[in-house]
Amino acid sequence: MPYISLNRVSYIYSGRSMPAVKDITLTFEKGEKIALTGTNGSGKSTIARLMLGLLKPQAGTVTLANRPIGDYSLVEIGERLGYVLQNPTQMLFTTTVYDEIAFGLRWKGVRGSELDKVCKNILKHFALWPLRNKMPLTLSEGQKQLVAICAVLALKPAYLILDEPTKSIDTFRKDILLNALQDIGHKGTGIIIISHDQEFTHRLCNREIKVFDGKVATDGSRC
Amino acid sequence: MDLDVRTKLFIAAIFSVLAIVYQDPVILGALLVILLPVLAFLKTPLGKFYDFRKLFYLYLILIIIQSLFVRGGAPLLKIGTIHLLTTDGLIYGLAVVMRFIILVGAGLILVACDTAKLLLAMSKMKIPYEIVFMIQLGIRFIPTLIGELSATFDAIQMRGADLRRVYKRKVFKVYLEIFTPLVFGILQKAEQLSILLELRGFRRYPERTSYKTIAMKKRDYIVIALTSAATMVFIFGAILYGKEQIPFNLR
Ligand SMILES: Nc1ncnc2c1ncn2[C@@H]1O[C@H](COP(=O)(O)OP(=O)(O)O)[C@@H](O)[C@H]1O
Ligand SMILES: [Mg+2]
Repeated sequence: MPYISLNRVSYIYSGRSMPAVKDITLTFEKGEKIALTGTNGSGKSTIARLMLGLLKPQAGTVTLANRPIGDYSLVEIGERLGYVLQNPTQMLFTTTVYDEIAFGLRWKGVRGSELDKVCKNILKHFALWPLRNKMPLTLSEGQKQLVAICAVLALKPAYLILDEPTKSIDTFRKDILLNALQDIGHKGTGIIIISHDQEFTHRLCNREIKVFDGKVATDGSRC
Repeated sequence: MDLDVRTKLFIAAIFSVLAIVYQDPVILGALLVILLPVLAFLKTPLGKFYDFRKLFYLYLILIIIQSLFVRGGAPLLKIGTIHLLTTDGLIYGLAVVMRFIILVGAGLILVACDTAKLLLAMSKMKIPYEIVFMIQLGIRFIPTLIGELSATFDAIQMRGADLRRVYKRKVFKVYLEIFTPLVFGILQKAEQLSILLELRGFRRYPERTSYKTIAMKKRDYIVIALTSAATMVFIFGAILYGKEQIPFNLR
């Protein structure tokens, strides 16, 4: 049983004449590590937003754990799928880096010393601890991206969907990120990485889906 | 029909002014009925109306608020001896919403125009460039901003904050928490935009030449003449209809 599935999904943005995604069928099993690649504007981010139920397809269906994605609330989707946007600025909304990590955990009911421990661990792991009292929106692009990733990682979703996660991250922290992803991947978390960073995806993913012009060009496993 | 931007500007201005001047629901209704074929004639992308669906509740609240404060007519809803809602109230509430729709429709005529041509037209009409630019910014920047804010609100909920939750106090706390960063983010974007503007030679408009050109053709003059005549007929009709409907109370 696939965990996430897109069945003959098409999506057209309002005011556009050409669909961004055309009749796409894809299935994702639990725990898969997938690279979603393709040229700029080929529809990768749109596919991600469709999988997350953030866009409603004009044709086709999207299901998550065998239920239509439309049956879930955003909160319920967030509990299962961790999504880091291509533009991390849009998903940073707290006053400090520390709070950014703590926000979701607090809503999950994590409190006190337990909360502090989780936040401290992840921030120290990614060498972001010195920035804990800074406002996320004032950080550099790469730092913002890492904070956004950490905020989602801390919630331990079943699947991670990262849209161009390595875009502006330095090599040192990229290695840390790779190790962290390999680690949670081994523990069974599914990972979808939208990226052109072949070196990064090759070391993590065993399936590559190439998108071209809104359609799946190739979908294959790779060792 | 492919009309000059200035002609479209003229038509949009007429509808906006009439919608603001008149308050009578019948006259506003008539104006709305006239606006629809005009929009079709100008090939206005009515699909954009759909973008305003999220404002539906705002309309509803507008109707309710308007309705509550207008007395007169038969009571529709009352608590004890207090008339909460009257027929007159409801009609005026509807009038406010019709006015809103007319203004949005008139705005859509301009949204559909090529922005560069619109700017050119306005500056040829000697409207200061800063004002022209602000209008352009409103048309183009605000929808983007709304899009980005809604992405942020999606992210907030996907991080576990159930904003539709019954515990209103907790939701209020979330809004309080995210308020400063949200405003900060908007200001940050505005600042980036202003830097970009400087880099691209903002305020150099009088010295700038334009790749695009605009020209009034015969049909533009015909349409403007017809629109003017129709407007007079409309105002005359409204006066005949009575009810203190002379624009600016010229009586
Ligand atoms: N919000 C939007 N409104 C209209 N068109 C969009 C929007 N987002 C993306 N598109 C269009 O959809 C197509 C696919 O975009 P996207 O999914 O972002 O591609 P990718 O992530 O592969 O670069 C592009 O042609 C893009 O211009
Ligand atoms: Mg993208």
